Amino acid sequence: MALSVSELLPAASLVRRQIWSVGGGKGGIGKSLLTASIGWQLARMGRRVVLVDADLGGANLHTCLGLPASGRTLADFIQRRVGSIEDVVIETGQPGLRLISGAADLLSAANIKHLQKVRVMNHIRALDVDMVLIDLGAGTSFNSLDFFLLSDVSILAVVPEPTSIENGYRFIKSALYRRLRAVAAREDVRELVEAALDPKNAEGIKTPLDLLARVEARDREAAEPLRREMAVFQPRFVVNEVRDVGDVAIGHQLVAACARHLGLRASYAGFVHHDDAVWQSVRRRRLFMADAPTSRAAEEIRQLTRGLVKGESLGPGY
Amino acid sequence: MPDDPYRVLGLEPRASAEQVERAYRFCVELYAEGSLALYSLLEPNAAEAQRALVREAYETLSDPQRRREYDASRGLLPPEGPLLAFPAPAVAASAELPAELSGPELRRLREARGLSLRQIAAVTKIGVRFLEYIEEDRLALLPPPVYLRGFLQEYGRLLGLDPRALADAYLAHVK
Repeated sequence: MALSVSELLPAASLVRRQIWSVGGGKGGIGKSLLTASIGWQLARMGRRVVLVDADLGGANLHTCLGLPASGRTLADFIQRRVGSIEDVVIETGQPGLRLISGAADLLSAANIKHLQKVRVMNHIRALDVDMVLIDLGAGTSFNSLDFFLLSDVSILAVVPEPTSIENGYRFIKSALYRRLRAVAAREDVRELVEAALDPKNAEGIKTPLDLLARVEARDREAAEPLRREMAVFQPRFVVNEVRDVGDVAIGHQLVAACARHLGLRASYAGFVHHDDAVWQSVRRRRLFMADAPTSRAAEEIRQLTRGLVKGESLGPGY
Repeated sequence: MPDDPYRVLGLEPRASAEQVERAYRFCVELYAEGSLALYSLLEPNAAEAQRALVREAYETLSDPQRRREYDASRGLLPPEGPLLAFPAPAVAASAELPAELSGPELRRLREARGLSLRQIAAVTKIGVRFLEYIEEDRLALLPPPVYLRGFLQEYGRLLGLDPRALADAYLAHVK
């Protein structure tokens, strides 16, 4: 019997690379540093990693890694100034860790067209690496949401401050509703999803659970794909810049709140303490993982990364 | 039909009294006025409604008599067999404790469970100072091994980890 094409391919090419993204909605909460340090640690653990700076309006992942602004950026690939995405991948100096820089100059890129996004994602998936980490921009632009939704692991960074928590929930809801809208087969269900996006909607829909109930009331079957999407949507919280035990507990509370009031199975991947060693390294334009490896933050990043690789999360908090 | 009190507190029907206690405290903090984790998610009156539910659930489950009555009315088994390990089994990964654990690693395990040193001290009667010495690896200030082992086992028990494995791992680290 003839072998199929897939059987003739080397096994490694069948293993899809893992794509992780780090989002959070709010600027200045350490998304770039988290992405850089988790990526750095993954490389230390022997993975071949490419970091992607998808913060197309305010890219600075290169700075986190102590690199100058790159001549070649993701924008060059999007605008087809280079032939292959490999042409914009640069070395970071850390073995196993490479970077696709974002472009700070290209404001229009902050809202690239859907087809361009799909092309970027397809080429990222085709990179010959083990893991891709995407640093998403601030805000809830479709770019950020789509990269978040297309990832195997969606990390949601927050800091223990009301503004960050608010943006975190907004980011979760926006991403989820975008997904639900895409899977809704019926026009009237799509309209309900769109209505839900407006917090002051006339339907009185405040949470995904409300939305689900509303759709179910109309048609049980139409609610099924929505229910399925909600079940697989599993953001992983990282609480950054914690200062005490109460801050650490926020992660557990967020997970409980998502389950109880949004109907979502989030998890708590870990936390990183506020640590002067981190900003001292930032000032030196060095990554603290290399610059201050014995710091508390560096140890916590190592623990966090190991947990993410194993798919573990912190317990229920009580 | 009132809300299922187990569901309200996020518990399994066979939860131990101690688990009920901790789940209740967790919910009280979650729904406290000005709760950061709920910011922008719940309207103040919705949070108040949740607080009332939590109180009611706790009143049912913390009173052995009322809890038995509730369980009987729902056809749940009376909790006479072995109760769930404390805390929830999700964190009772004692078999996976490494051979060595440093003080800072212990601290992280503790913090991941949302426990403060003060809480541990209150239950175990071990002084906060000694707990700090342990977590800071201040070997010169630690009590003699025979006492230290006892402290560590208490500490491990409160974290829901295998007390002996935790004590062994720390003693291996400081040796």
